[in-house]
Amino acid sequence: MSMPARDMGRKEGSFEREPARRVFAGELRECRYQFKDGEDEKSPTYVLLPSGERSNRIFLVGTLTEKQRQGEQNIFYRGRVVDPTGTFFVMAGSYQPEAMQQLAKIETPAFVAVIGKPNLYQKPDGAYLVTVRVESITVVDRETRDLWVLDAAARTLDRVDAMAAGTSPDVIKAKEQYPTIDPSVFKKMAYEALAQIKI
Amino acid sequence: MDFSEAADRISRKFSKSGHEIDQKKIEGKLRRLIDEFGVQPAEAERSVTNELAKEFNIPMGGPGSSGGKGSGTESKKIAEVLPEEWVTIEGKVVALSAPASPSIAQSGIIADDSGGIRFVAWAKSNAPKMAEGSWYRIESAVVDEFKGVANIKIHSGTTVTELGTDGALIPTAAPIKDLHPGIGSVRAKVVQEWDATHERMLQSGLLGDETGTIKFVIWKEPGKEQLVPGSVYNIFYAQVDEFNGRLSLNLNSATIMQEDGDIAVNGGEATVRGSIVHIAPGSGIIKRCPVEGCNRALSRQNYCPVHEIQPKFIYDLRIKGWLDDGEKTHSILLQRDVVENLTGISLADAQEIAENNPLGMDEVFLRMRDAILGRYVTCSGREIDNRLLVNKCERLVFDSSEHTSLLNRAGGAS
Repeated sequence: MSMPARDMGRKEGSFEREPARRVFAGELRECRYQFKDGEDEKSPTYVLLPSGERSNRIFLVGTLTEKQRQGEQNIFYRGRVVDPTGTFFVMAGSYQPEAMQQLAKIETPAFVAVIGKPNLYQKPDGAYLVTVRVESITVVDRETRDLWVLDAAARTLDRVDAMAAGTSPDVIKAKEQYPTIDPSVFKKMAYEALAQIKI
Repeated sequence: MDFSEAADRISRKFSKSGHEIDQKKIEGKLRRLIDEFGVQPAEAERSVTNELAKEFNIPMGGPGSSGGKGSGTESKKIAEVLPEEWVTIEGKVVALSAPASPSIAQSGIIADDSGGIRFVAWAKSNAPKMAEGSWYRIESAVVDEFKGVANIKIHSGTTVTELGTDGALIPTAAPIKDLHPGIGSVRAKVVQEWDATHERMLQSGLLGDETGTIKFVIWKEPGKEQLVPGSVYNIFYAQVDEFNGRLSLNLNSATIMQEDGDIAVNGGEATVRGSIVHIAPGSGIIKRCPVEGCNRALSRQNYCPVHEIQPKFIYDLRIKGWLDDGEKTHSILLQRDVVENLTGISLADAQEIAENNPLGMDEVFLRMRDAILGRYVTCSGREIDNRLLVNKCERLVFDSSEHTSLLNRAGGAS
């Protein structure tokens, strides 16, 4: 009798939500490798960041510059969110009704905070595209944007440091998958992003 | 194999109650069980004893039935007994509790220097009444398991002997984080006192030591006293219960001694800085059950899982969500005052919106979501079961010195 209850407690306790990584658009754009952790249909999918960390979810803050409604029967929204290093391509479809409604309501341009899942696509012409499937998007102020730039810069620098020193499986995989990328470019990218914040 | 020793023990048990049994007959029975049926000697001895007891219609283990060296089992340390074993132990009765049923003669806790265990003496066992504070040898008792906790059953085949010894027994207090269901001793401080949720409850609250905290409860019983919040106690032989994977201490059985010291309690205090990445359904303005001590959240139809429809509900604010620092996501729960401060929406405002806006309570949820989702905050509070119960939540402000140091870090050596 007591066993199932105890097991349940453990299961609840052991559930871990995937953290939302902080990554600049300039780095996310470089992703070329996506993998599944486990064989199960519901196993999480990760995009491997070139700075050596897997990412199932990201958190970003930038300026929503454009949004567009698309599709006839399956309506979905696309948007472009710009940070100091580049552009995130975000989308929300009928599988994310709440996110779609949020995105539909926002007037561009606006600072937005986006929580979403990164996805890697290869277009017919062979080019890669990373989009972010939005879980939620809210209008925020400039201060939140600036805080995010600090946060993303700090996390990026942490990853670059870990990559130089580390031997974690993700770091090794990243060195394999992105042999031509020198992680120090992300350090430079972080510097340039930070430098754009007006004090 | 020689059965005379065991046969002698058995016959002596019966001769005390006036039944002389032929030793050869007992030996024959034992031989049959052991040689022909491969029964363990101890088990055979018990089985023969019970068979004879039944034959003469006498309850075993009655007064004066003690004698001999027991049923052949070696005396065991209490901490080592396992469920479904037949054991012989020696220990001190450290607590007696009121029997829960007429079929139980006595129940309580017996302990040795290795630990304590609950015991139950069946009325049918006719075991001698044991006195709190005295040492006893309990032979051939059965270890049972109830709700994952071992206890000792004293039945008609068990022999209870009072030992002359009067050894002092000082249990060692365990760190709270190492407690497991059963009997436990702790040295802890009363860090919180909670409202009683039951009329039979004398006191409940939270005990803490350097390693963690645990809920405690004392039920109303003659002679029980409340603990003083902020004081440190040595608590010996409390009952550690488990419910839904969480432990709590029942102090009714415990010996409690107050002391003057203090403990720096590790209350699971945690501070997390991150962004709010999700606000769960059930956040915003909610209705609570007005029944005294219930306070459960009601469904949309004002339905309490326990007290059914409650039209005279009480409004409350709360936010359940996830706070994400980029490495780990923390489940957070914000109470009313924290929600009011963070969102700028007071309970009165929220009630006004809920009652007059066409979207009702949903509108409160949406406004709160738009006010805080995706924002950077610092939350501090107590972490229980992987959920941070937030008692303070503040928005992060831009810190230019952090900006400068990051610029230096990113600009250096590139």
